[in-house]
Amino acid sequence: MKRMQLALGTVLVAGALATSSALAAHWTEGMKEGKAEFKSMGPLAFGPEGILFVADTKAAAVVALATGDTKTAEAKAVKVEGINQKLAGILGTTADQILIDDMAVNPISHQTYLAVSRGRGPEAMPVLMRVKTDGTIEAVALEKMKFSRAELPDAPVDGVVGQGQRQSNPRRESITDVAFLEDRVMIAGLSNEEFASTLRAIPFPFKTVANGTSVEIYHGAHGRFETRAPVRTFVPFKVGNEAQLLAAYTCTPLVQFSVNALKPGAKLKGKTIAELGNRNRPIDMVVYHKDGKDFLLLANSSRGIMKIETDDIEKTGSIEAPVPDGGKKGLHYETIENWKGVSQLDLLDSTHALVLHQNEGGPLTLESLPLP
Amino acid sequence: MRLAFDRSGGRETAALLFLKILFSFLLIATASAETIDRKSVWRIRFVPEASPRVLVTAPSSASLRPLRRVHWTPEQWQSLLSVHAEQGELTIDISLPPMAGEYRVEGDTLLFLPRFPFAPGVTYRATFHPSLIPGSREGASVLIGETFRVERRSAAPTSVTRVYPSADELPENLLKFYVQFSAPMSRGHIYEHIHLLDEQRKPVELPFLEIDEELWDVEMKRLTLFIDPGRIKRGVRPLEEVGPALEQGKHYSLVIDRGWHDAQGNSLSNSYEKNFSVGPPDRSPPDPKQWQIAAPSLAEGKTRLEVRFPDPMDHALALRLIRVERVQTSRRTPAALEGTAKLDDNERHWSFTPSQPWQRGTYQLVVPAIIEDLAGNNIGKPFEVDLFDTIQKRPTNAVTRLSFEVR
Repeated sequence: MKRMQLALGTVLVAGALATSSALAAHWTEGMKEGKAEFKSMGPLAFGPEGILFVADTKAAAVVALATGDTKTAEAKAVKVEGINQKLAGILGTTADQILIDDMAVNPISHQTYLAVSRGRGPEAMPVLMRVKTDGTIEAVALEKMKFSRAELPDAPVDGVVGQGQRQSNPRRESITDVAFLEDRVMIAGLSNEEFASTLRAIPFPFKTVANGTSVEIYHGAHGRFETRAPVRTFVPFKVGNEAQLLAAYTCTPLVQFSVNALKPGAKLKGKTIAELGNRNRPIDMVVYHKDGKDFLLLANSSRGIMKIETDDIEKTGSIEAPVPDGGKKGLHYETIENWKGVSQLDLLDSTHALVLHQNEGGPLTLESLPLP
Repeated sequence: MRLAFDRSGGRETAALLFLKILFSFLLIATASAETIDRKSVWRIRFVPEASPRVLVTAPSSASLRPLRRVHWTPEQWQSLLSVHAEQGELTIDISLPPMAGEYRVEGDTLLFLPRFPFAPGVTYRATFHPSLIPGSREGASVLIGETFRVERRSAAPTSVTRVYPSADELPENLLKFYVQFSAPMSRGHIYEHIHLLDEQRKPVELPFLEIDEELWDVEMKRLTLFIDPGRIKRGVRPLEEVGPALEQGKHYSLVIDRGWHDAQGNSLSNSYEKNFSVGPPDRSPPDPKQWQIAAPSLAEGKTRLEVRFPDPMDHALALRLIRVERVQTSRRTPAALEGTAKLDDNERHWSFTPSQPWQRGTYQLVVPAIIEDLAGNNIGKPFEVDLFDTIQKRPTNAVTRLSFEVR
């Protein structure tokens, strides 16, 4: 899960709060009370007023849950060792049957929400779990929660309708990332058939028919070849007053583009600001403020954690020519060596990150760490 | 069964307490095998059916009565009766929280309704402390335990049935494999079981796009395995640093090892291997105008429409996207014909038999532009658009229509 830290600057904070209070009353507009049904739970992202967006890949939908978890509380240091075993205990199964698919911290209560799969096959049960600030874990009761739902336009249905043995459509679009920005839910998807990038921006509160805008995002590597490669993970952030998205592509470039350019059917070309290179698999990104500067923290399968100054993003020109071996053209970044084996990353508060990590042979641990 | 400890010895050391807990676990673990010889005692029973429950029956209906009046927290109920899923390691088991669920008292029975069903292959342990019932005369050390296990269903072993593309020679810029299994599989850490080996049987380093979401179909019988696009796309660092995952002129084996578990938790029946050689990269978009259509014929009794592609097409997309429509004389929007499509001859031959007989007249083969060949080239658009090459067409969302006559 990735979230924009509101403390990006005084102007931004004021702007965000004004927006928040003006809209607070209507965030739950159109929601109904009952039990939201899930076929799966994937990426999570908190929006305003304790509203949690839960992507359900199997159902090709995003569900907004009004968690009611809106009581302000200070963040506390957290360390839960063997969290997969503890989850297994509560869910009545063995730890090898537990998968943690995403993690998000509620910025109001600082409680952590986990999208957990109980089981690993097609019959697996998705469960939303909560880690309280004292480290105790509970299953979140969805029975009487207000929610609304946005169905994603599924596969291009050409040729599927009624074609004999093709009636069961094996196409699925995995939701690889979700974020909330101002009044939109942004959703990145990756299909199990065609290789293409879809990024959808769906207005929130969801309307009866959620017809999100879908755009094709290209990135040019070295100014010559461009592809509609899928986006792996992204984070909204602001440069000055302008909302930007920073997207990490499956073929490793980091690309920046303006949110305002996301128009229905637009063909967008982003600015390649860095290339992570081989063996790198971006996992999660967060933006935070420290010592008067804004930083981006990127969890990566190979390089551990990368810390990048966002001011540099603005200043960096697009990479238009190949970077020679060992060259440092493009964005400057610092690697945080002692954060190892991170599989999930979110902001706990303005000074701490929350990570899910596992070192070789060690237990899977949920832990708060000071922001670097 | 009944377990009792004497706590009269005063303060226990941590080590002693641990030994006692250990001992109690050992006894509980054997409880199900022992004969319950006192009919009048507390009994625990697991009911695994549609609405799973754990029942504790009391020696008399009065024994549980005080519980009807209590307003306990979940933690208090869990102290009275807890159900644990055993993890197979004692040191872990004693520190884990109990299963979440609801507690009720009905007559002389205390019910625990677990929030989640009992899973096959897991051992559950119930522990009941009757002394915690308000007004109970049971000794504080009395502990009633029971274990229960749902056995795994036995099923025929799962195997890999097919890997697409089927051809023995694949382009250097191959974009993906589809791995088809005979039964649903399990997800999580799958890439440990998928290996791409070179001619010396040495693993190719990180050839695949490894993503946590894992690209399965709904049944979890087909996995889509993308080659890391960074190793295909020209001008990005992975390709420049380590080269392509597949190199022209070389031989490779895609190996699915049998250690991978299916959805039932069983290993595959055997490892699967697809051996192939690598040909030149394919950067030309497929062109439906080059496709050969053999129309069905009423006169010759030929009921199958056949289409031959010069090069193999992506298996999933060709089967899902290509459709047939009847050209209508009226203004009605034509609907795709129902029927059965097949793809064979290494994904170069597509055929279609409609469920209703063909009629004399004009039909169209409709091909959406997003269909892909083995290298991810779409109709009218290669996988990579070369900005310096002005001849290439720009992307299009159109469909191509190829007409044929049924006579």
